[in-house]
Amino acid sequence: MQTGTKISAIAHVTLVGWALFGGTFRSEPLPFEVQDVSVISAEEYAALFAPTPAPVVSDAPSDLQEPPKQDDEVKVPEQTEVQQPRPEPVTPPEPQPAPETQPEVVVDTPDPEVVEQTPTLVQPEPEVVALPVPPGKKPKPRPAEKVAPQPVAPPPPEAKPDEVETPPVADEKGADTPREQQEQTAPEEATDQIVTEAEQSKELAPDRSPRPPSKRPQRSEPAQTAEVEKPAEPTKPVAEDKPSSSTDDAVKDALAEALGDAQQSDTTPSGPPLTGGEKDALRVAVSNCWNVGSLSTEALKTTVVVSVTMNRDGTPVTDSIRMLESSGGSSGAAKQAFDAARRAIIRCGAKGYDLPADKYDQWQAIEMTFNPERMRIK
Amino acid sequence: MMKFLTSLFLGAALLAAPAHAQGQPLRIVIDEGVIEPMPFAVPDFVPDSAAAADYAREISRVISADLTGTGLFREISSDAFISRVSSFEAPVQFADWKAINAQALVTGAVNVSGNRLSVRFRIWDVFSGAELGSGLQFAGTTDGWRRMAHKVADQVYSRITGEGAYFDSRVAFVSESGPKDQRRKRLAIMDYDGANVQYLTDSSSIVLAPRFSPAGDRLLYTSYESGTPRIYVLDVNRVQRQVLPTQEGTMSFAPRFAPDGKTVLYSLAQGGNTDLWRMDISTGNSVRLTSAPSIETAPSYSPDGSRIVFESDRSGTPQLYVMPANGGEATRISFGQGRYGTPVWSPRGDLIAFTKQNKGRFHIGVMRIDGSEERLLTASFLDEGPTWSPNGRVIMFTRETQGASGQSSLYSVDISGRNLRPVRTPDGASDPSWSPLQN
Repeated sequence: MQTGTKISAIAHVTLVGWALFGGTFRSEPLPFEVQDVSVISAEEYAALFAPTPAPVVSDAPSDLQEPPKQDDEVKVPEQTEVQQPRPEPVTPPEPQPAPETQPEVVVDTPDPEVVEQTPTLVQPEPEVVALPVPPGKKPKPRPAEKVAPQPVAPPPPEAKPDEVETPPVADEKGADTPREQQEQTAPEEATDQIVTEAEQSKELAPDRSPRPPSKRPQRSEPAQTAEVEKPAEPTKPVAEDKPSSSTDDAVKDALAEALGDAQQSDTTPSGPPLTGGEKDALRVAVSNCWNVGSLSTEALKTTVVVSVTMNRDGTPVTDSIRMLESSGGSSGAAKQAFDAARRAIIRCGAKGYDLPADKYDQWQAIEMTFNPERMRIK
Repeated sequence: MMKFLTSLFLGAALLAAPAHAQGQPLRIVIDEGVIEPMPFAVPDFVPDSAAAADYAREISRVISADLTGTGLFREISSDAFISRVSSFEAPVQFADWKAINAQALVTGAVNVSGNRLSVRFRIWDVFSGAELGSGLQFAGTTDGWRRMAHKVADQVYSRITGEGAYFDSRVAFVSESGPKDQRRKRLAIMDYDGANVQYLTDSSSIVLAPRFSPAGDRLLYTSYESGTPRIYVLDVNRVQRQVLPTQEGTMSFAPRFAPDGKTVLYSLAQGGNTDLWRMDISTGNSVRLTSAPSIETAPSYSPDGSRIVFESDRSGTPQLYVMPANGGEATRISFGQGRYGTPVWSPRGDLIAFTKQNKGRFHIGVMRIDGSEERLLTASFLDEGPTWSPNGRVIMFTRETQGASGQSSLYSVDISGRNLRPVRTPDGASDPSWSPLQN
């Protein structure tokens, strides 16, 4: 009996003890956060929870788009003027010495020897820098010397223009390790559209005629039309076409037979193809150096296809740059357009384009089509 | 024959096969670029003697100023130069010029012998390490050193841009001095950049609207010397003039040469009506081209002489019209809001420059010859009287500031609307007329 009572008492004590102190034996404490608490006044509390006004949508460009020291009178015409040095002192009136001053002799001077050296300056890698475009209405373009695909805000006044943005670094007094001083650099200011003086003050004057450009009523001239229509297209003899097409077919067949399987297997370069991003990076890199500002209006209508062979380090082989074809302009205009394209390839490739080395076979030979159509309407 | 051709192509294909086997080239399309001035360097030309030192330095400065003034080029300061050009024949250190991002380089030398001066020069594309064109030499008298500098700059400009040049040209204008209500006006001529101003008339009578002949040797202008406006022809080199024979009791004004330089278009006001007339300068015979009761004025020929653009208020407000050179039915080409006037046909023939007044502002603008693609380039209190550069790329015009003390001055602007800049003149200036390139 006593034994039973003892066992029962011990069991009850154990049960009650487990119920009371069971949680104590948990191995992990509950997580908790610690926050700093500071005492604030009632005014500060009210100010902290005061309702904030909704953001105001404005038609004006964002602050970043504004030149740094513009005042309210930004639309005065003198703002876009370029100062010109004073002319030479006025000479007294006298008869024009035309005959004597005529430049008379044109002589081709001998070619000097050309020495090419590799640039020794080390410059940072180019980087495309663009400001985020705010959502909603497109910002109004600003007048800037450079017109680029993407607008760039004016650099800080003390910054040196460069292709990459670098923050200024100064040696801090008392620092453990002295830091190398670094000059601040920023990309050159650019707009994405030419803004004329008239367009700057749009609220004062319309910039374009409301008349549609191409829908001009034409006087019908039946007599002339009849004359034009009369000489009907000369009907080409069927026999003229046949030999050429059959010759083409024969040549195509012969080519296909001659090249056969070799064409199918070898025309595709080995290795994985370039991704869209890699191609875009190359395109943007060349675009940044393709300056069409000094091209003639005719050259701006000329598209050129240029071939270039690349070195493994991503630099172009200068001598390999060739114009494959051109369209839209005269041979003179094509030459100007090709010169600008060649300058772009060489300039921005001087330090090597950022291309994947393991895909060299894919970009060893590149054909670039330079089409200035979109640049004409800037 | 077919077999022969087949064999030929087959052989060519087999020869090309190894190259083809290397793989198709990577193809990309570049359709976005930048528009910015091209950096160039003009180190001081090398003087052949001490006497040539000043000329060499000044010629280099004028070349740089010409190129910079276009807005298409940006001069790299000589402070940044790594290389010094001490000999015209020495090889160019392209790496040094690439390092400072000079894309074009102009090297030259100047020789002076007595009053004879010669300039020789070369133009280099730095990044391709090649010469642009061939070396050239100009020779003349020391008095003409500025013209030779302009000619060198013309070569640089046209070889790089592919455009015709315009630096070796002159501008005739009306020089103005004195307050607005008592303004004294004289006919004057200067280099395109404002240098070498010479006065062609005194200020005893009002003169208006000088217009160069196609050869640049004569000027037409309107003078109030006789009390009523009449048209004069002035020989620029000899500064001799003669009045054009027009009917007594009429007012003639707004003259302009035909492209052949033999006939003159002008407006004649008679009995309260103003119409366009054409005069043969050698005979003095005039032909009436319009006969509307409205005011027709400011005529300008197309470069081929086949058409005339002019201003007329026949629709109620001044607008622009185009008609055949011998008269006939005119087609209205301006339809925008406001008033249009002083149309001038571009030397290229593709555009018409004009003055536009709308909502209290004046503009210089351009439009296609059918009136399409109108674009306003300027806006101010008063802009008027455009004139084209010889290459059709730049427009010069008069800008007048507001108020009793307002001054007239000359400005130029690129046809893109960029590079608006004043043209410095000793006094006020108006009514510019740009000459063709000098020979």
